[in-house]
Amino acid sequence: MTRFILKRCGLALVSLFILSVTIFTLIRLTGDPATLLAAPDAKEADLDAIRVRFGLDRSWPVQYVRFVGGALQGDFGTSLYYRIPAGTLYWQRLPASLQLAAAAMTISLVVGLSVGILAAVNVGRWWDSAGKLIALLGLSMPSFWLGLLLIYFFAVYLHWLPTSGRGTAAHLVMPAIALSGYFTAAHMRLTRSSMLDVLGSEYVKLARLKGLPESWVLVKHAFKNALIPVVTLAGINLVLMINVAVVVETVFAWPGIGRLLFEGIEFRDFPVVQTVVLLGGVMVIVANLTVDVLYAWIDPRIRLKS
Amino acid sequence: MRANRRCFLGCVALVLGLLLIAPAPSAGAPQGTVIYAVHITIAPAWFDPADNPGQITPFIIQYALHDAVIKPMPAGMMTPSLAESWTASKDGRVYEFVLRKNVVFHNGDLMTAEDVKFSFERYRGAGATLLKEKVEAVTIVDPHRVRFHLKEPWPDFMGFYGSPATGAGWIVPKKYVEKVGEDGFKQAPVGAGPFKLVSMTPGVEIVLEAHEKYWRKTPKVKRIVMKTVTEGSTRLAMLKRGEAHIAYKTDGPLGEEVRKDPNLDLVFSGGIATWWLQFGELNDPKSPWHHHKVRLAANYALDRRALSEAETLGASPLTGSIIPREFEWALPVDPLPYDPKKAKQLLAEAGYPSGFDAGTITPIPPYYSFAEAVGGYLGAVGIKAKVQKMERAVMFDKRRKRELTGICLCANGGFGNAVTRIDADIVSTGVHSVLKDAEIDKLFDEQSREADPKKREALLKRIQQRVVDRAYFAPIYQLQWPNGVSKAMKVSGMGLIPTFYYTGPFEEIELR
Repeated sequence: MTRFILKRCGLALVSLFILSVTIFTLIRLTGDPATLLAAPDAKEADLDAIRVRFGLDRSWPVQYVRFVGGALQGDFGTSLYYRIPAGTLYWQRLPASLQLAAAAMTISLVVGLSVGILAAVNVGRWWDSAGKLIALLGLSMPSFWLGLLLIYFFAVYLHWLPTSGRGTAAHLVMPAIALSGYFTAAHMRLTRSSMLDVLGSEYVKLARLKGLPESWVLVKHAFKNALIPVVTLAGINLVLMINVAVVVETVFAWPGIGRLLFEGIEFRDFPVVQTVVLLGGVMVIVANLTVDVLYAWIDPRIRLKS
Repeated sequence: MRANRRCFLGCVALVLGLLLIAPAPSAGAPQGTVIYAVHITIAPAWFDPADNPGQITPFIIQYALHDAVIKPMPAGMMTPSLAESWTASKDGRVYEFVLRKNVVFHNGDLMTAEDVKFSFERYRGAGATLLKEKVEAVTIVDPHRVRFHLKEPWPDFMGFYGSPATGAGWIVPKKYVEKVGEDGFKQAPVGAGPFKLVSMTPGVEIVLEAHEKYWRKTPKVKRIVMKTVTEGSTRLAMLKRGEAHIAYKTDGPLGEEVRKDPNLDLVFSGGIATWWLQFGELNDPKSPWHHHKVRLAANYALDRRALSEAETLGASPLTGSIIPREFEWALPVDPLPYDPKKAKQLLAEAGYPSGFDAGTITPIPPYYSFAEAVGGYLGAVGIKAKVQKMERAVMFDKRRKRELTGICLCANGGFGNAVTRIDADIVSTGVHSVLKDAEIDKLFDEQSREADPKKREALLKRIQQRVVDRAYFAPIYQLQWPNGVSKAMKVSGMGLIPTFYYTGPFEEIELR
């Protein structure tokens, strides 16, 4: 198991290096931030002054070494738009994203797993059709549209919830529902298909033949095995929820990382984009690593093969 | 039971007594909280006038936090604020400002000539290079009198120093900045404006509180909260729900919704960004745009009134010039009327009876619907052009490098005067200019050396007249935008300063 984890850690470091080079290069290919930071009719001298001030006049290798050197010490540079450290901005926004992602993940797992199991157990019946409808709606309804519908119904019409922002638990309800919509559907579909696979397997048939109660067969034998692909997907989805909830965060003025990334791209704020993508990448890698380890723990064949 | 009742009555009497003897809030004391839903991301970079990028956006906050020697106010484009008055020497090389006495910064420091000198020398934003090239020295005559000595006469000095074209005339407290340092100042800015900073969450919200010793008058509102809400529908929902008093930029269908709501008012901003069509290939003799009549046809083809209605609910006044009327030395020009028949006739006379393919219309992002509407009007007379969408930075870069082909739906929202606009968009060396008119370049050169203000003004107006006569552009309107305001506001401050897009002066804002 230790060898398995060490090998995965080595691969994670290589992935991080590739990610840092990629994001550093790609963001610079999109254009010169000085043109957005200055007035539209600014003279070339003003643009030059901005480039010098933010070190954008240096060669790319010099800028990359500075970026990586700083990042290793926790300094991700100063935001070009906000003029405060990009790391500070990131850590300020992270709790809001974690809170939203945790709430949305809870909703998506509770609803997705329950409906998925019910649909699989009652395949072809009313519950299954209802589950399919929920999945269809969740996958096809754009989150901004769902978000606006929620705002206008629950905030403007019923006056039950605040329209936007972060503060009380009430502020969290609508963004969490809007963010969870797609993921609930995805978890539900995967749970249903995975459960159907497992329920048709030989060992479940054997368990039933042995006369075990149906609830015991479902919980002990079917659900545990059907959970493996759902855990994998949920791990990746959690990272997505934290980092790229751009639309939901914008609609609900939720001060999270997704909005920060969007603004960073919009304003060509290199340090902010680099910080968000790099730390998001770290999160993806750690999540993958955790899922791999969990996988190996749940199913010993995986670590033995590895 | 009786004892309980006695106790209850005693308590009531005590409360009533306390209410009677408690001091009532004085009539002049600031009261209430006004919440703004702001359409753009509020950044701490805007707290420091030394970093002004030459765009109007940072003034959304700076009008509250800071004050300037001279600034646009309801009374005029160059209203003395921290200065009581100013004079220019006969040779145009020395400008003297007499400063107001007893102006207090938020931290209690008195504002003096030292602060004015320090703020100018510290300034590093847009136009800093030019200002420092032109100004030889700043001398302090006495604590309330300061002189700017120019290397040579520069008639545009006040255009740069006395307007939001730069932030050089916006004053910060020298002692405080030196004490807390540059980063410290951004975290906890102190100014001489009507409101002081209470708290700030970058990109999320800022909270301001009335500066009761503000020299002009005590603000009427106690607190201001500005929240970043970039989604228009959410801003509207906040207004409807009573979570915001003022929602900036509720244009198009959002504005119509505001109009329908009996609890809201649709209020227009001021503003100085002019929009126009720029014809990319007008210097190329092979291009249809080289023909005066074709350019004139494009001018007649546009229904400017309908465009203003569709885009800004009629907020934007129509114009026949790319220079705002309010600018010093501007030539006020009415637009040509909407006359598609005449446009077709002019095209036929120019040799294009069936119109022509003009390629693309590239708008400044994200004004794509505006470009579609313009393209529709041009197409109706036979000038066919497809809307080309570009990412903002790419478009700005291409525009600056003059790599845009076809029609540009362009705008300039920079402060200044007629000279600054001509310099940027009309003379052949202008950062965005695609014009090459030797006569205009000559006149512009002449005006820059002309010491007599009247002669200079005449030269500048001749340039503007030539631009109009030759229909070098198709000006559309001076952009102003609709905003949603709750009926709870007595004075929203929107549109009070004719050249300003946001609410101001903040000390005038009042709740009902």
